[in-house]
Amino acid sequence: MATDASAVIPCEEAPAVDDDVRRRIFRCVLLHRLMEERIMLLYKQGRIPGSVYTGRGQEAVGAAAGVALSADDVVAPLNREMGCHIARGVTVAHIFRNYLGRATGPTGGRDGNMHFGVPEQGVFPLVSMLGDLVPVMVGAALAFKRRGEPRVALTFFGDGAFNCGDTHEGLNLAGALNVPAVFIAQSNRVAYSTFTERSMRNPVLAQRIEGGYSIPCPRVDGTDALAVYSTVREAVERARSGDGPQAVEALTVRMDGHAAHDDARYMDRELLHEYATRRDPVERLAARLIADGMSADEVASLRDAAAAEVAAGLAEAEAAPAPDPATLEQGVYASPVR
Amino acid sequence: MAAAEITYLEAIRLAMRDAMRDDERVFLLGEDVGHFGGAFGVTQGLLDEFGGDRVIDTPISEEGFIGAAFGAAWMGERPIAELQFADFVSCPFDQIVTVGAKTHWRNGIALPVVIRLPSGGGVRGGPFHASSPEGWFVGTAGLKVVCPGTVEDAYGLLRAAVEDDDPVLYFEHKALYRRLRAPQPDASYRVPIGRARVARDGTDVSVITYGSGVSLALGVAEAMAPGASVEVLDLRTIWPLDVEAVLESVARTSRALVLQEASRSTGAANTIVSLVAQRAFERLDAPIRVVAPPDTPVPYAPELEDAYLPSAAGLTSALEDLLGY
Repeated sequence: MATDASAVIPCEEAPAVDDDVRRRIFRCVLLHRLMEERIMLLYKQGRIPGSVYTGRGQEAVGAAAGVALSADDVVAPLNREMGCHIARGVTVAHIFRNYLGRATGPTGGRDGNMHFGVPEQGVFPLVSMLGDLVPVMVGAALAFKRRGEPRVALTFFGDGAFNCGDTHEGLNLAGALNVPAVFIAQSNRVAYSTFTERSMRNPVLAQRIEGGYSIPCPRVDGTDALAVYSTVREAVERARSGDGPQAVEALTVRMDGHAAHDDARYMDRELLHEYATRRDPVERLAARLIADGMSADEVASLRDAAAAEVAAGLAEAEAAPAPDPATLEQGVYASPVR
Repeated sequence: MAAAEITYLEAIRLAMRDAMRDDERVFLLGEDVGHFGGAFGVTQGLLDEFGGDRVIDTPISEEGFIGAAFGAAWMGERPIAELQFADFVSCPFDQIVTVGAKTHWRNGIALPVVIRLPSGGGVRGGPFHASSPEGWFVGTAGLKVVCPGTVEDAYGLLRAAVEDDDPVLYFEHKALYRRLRAPQPDASYRVPIGRARVARDGTDVSVITYGSGVSLALGVAEAMAPGASVEVLDLRTIWPLDVEAVLESVARTSRALVLQEASRSTGAANTIVSLVAQRAFERLDAPIRVVAPPDTPVPYAPELEDAYLPSAAGLTSALEDLLGY
């Protein structure tokens, strides 16, 4: 990480967030960053087929929201929330196996990159039609409400998906049914190459979620992992206690292009420089850990441990078998007709 | 004592009621299914028996509540979602083909959802309230598509659909709701999904059909007997197709005609014609035929709709041509 540590703005003080939570979030954002750096290299080497979508600059949101959930909660992360998978206990090797299309990965080579769920960890698989999973998670929350279970269902959408009908039907339905669903709006200012100012009259999603759907929606700095954690945690607990659907708008900047092939030439270079040097979510959390007393050596050792975990996970994934084409037609149905 | 007679509509309601009595995980959701009892009255009385937690009125949000049905199914529920008209399946199409159809194959997550779709014409509904859009889903891996054509099947297919672990699209024909009556099936009655049934034995020609085509074909077959021996194969499930049943029927009669209410280039006809051409060509004594409406939306005016829909006269004429080939 080539940033000048003195320029970095530490996460805001967060005395209520305990050391264990901070370390868990730090591990998630580190792994997210390091895995995606490795994935971009593998992609350029032709070792990952298809395409790659990174969450650089947005790591704090998925990681902190994932850590804010309890073990029995369920979540549908999207393609910029790898850290959320890590927070749920999905292993580095399992994620790499999906990128590499291996038989023992979460989709067995049937889907790639971030398009996977891990049902045993309560993670529903991403679909590319963004917005679709908003109503799906409302339905999961409806199941919890029907059964009186103290669980919540959480999902994300970007400002891009906020222009999709499914997102709005899901938000409205969540309110109408008063279910324990939590929505995290990742406002990264751009959908592929189109800026929110050009795709919507009012780009302040929190206003529209609160004003349009009467769902509480505090805004939080999405590069401040501890602030995201505290805000999402409160939202999750309000939903769990029966206060109905909740939302949080996390303000971020997408530091890479939409996908690996996109050089993001349309982005504001000064803004990217500001975020890379002063508001990098990984470095902001590292700076807060040091400001609150963690030694530089310990931070370095956590970075080393994450790098080692990535290397070991990749090696494990690369050793996994390729899928057998003879199995292609298996599993189309849960109950095959013959 | 003989069982009381019920209508096709009552059989659907009874199947839902019995499924809900048997299994707490089964619940209903859709527009106006609760207090109002459904646009066609199919869910009448269910709110009173089961309460608002199990009979849920939703906003006009087909994408929303079909998506929610899949999410609830992921969490172990067994929702039955009602679309007011099958035509409106264009709205949640994405949820059905993206989330519903692909999730088990991609990720091993079963999504046991039944979607009820009141389909079909003869009710002067016009282009948006009389369609038979089942063909959009024929060939879509991961979905099951059933089309009851009798009172017994209305009950037995719905019970089987609710107990099935996959998304099942249940196309119920509006014109059959009150037209068909039969003794009430036993509560244990199930119709296996994926299996066709020979509704009438015959040796000269096979009419392969489903839904509203079943009673039409049986009437014509009866009228043409004994001069012609017409077999009627009721597909019951149009996807996945009961390939063996189609091939066996064609092997018995050597002449085949597909009858459907979906416009001729949609529905199940092309799949069946393709199957027969590939696997039973040498068994045929004549080219396979299709009796179906033209490739237009369903028209409104009685003169137009009557001309559009398959008729007994049209089917009889097509069968006579085929038998005389």
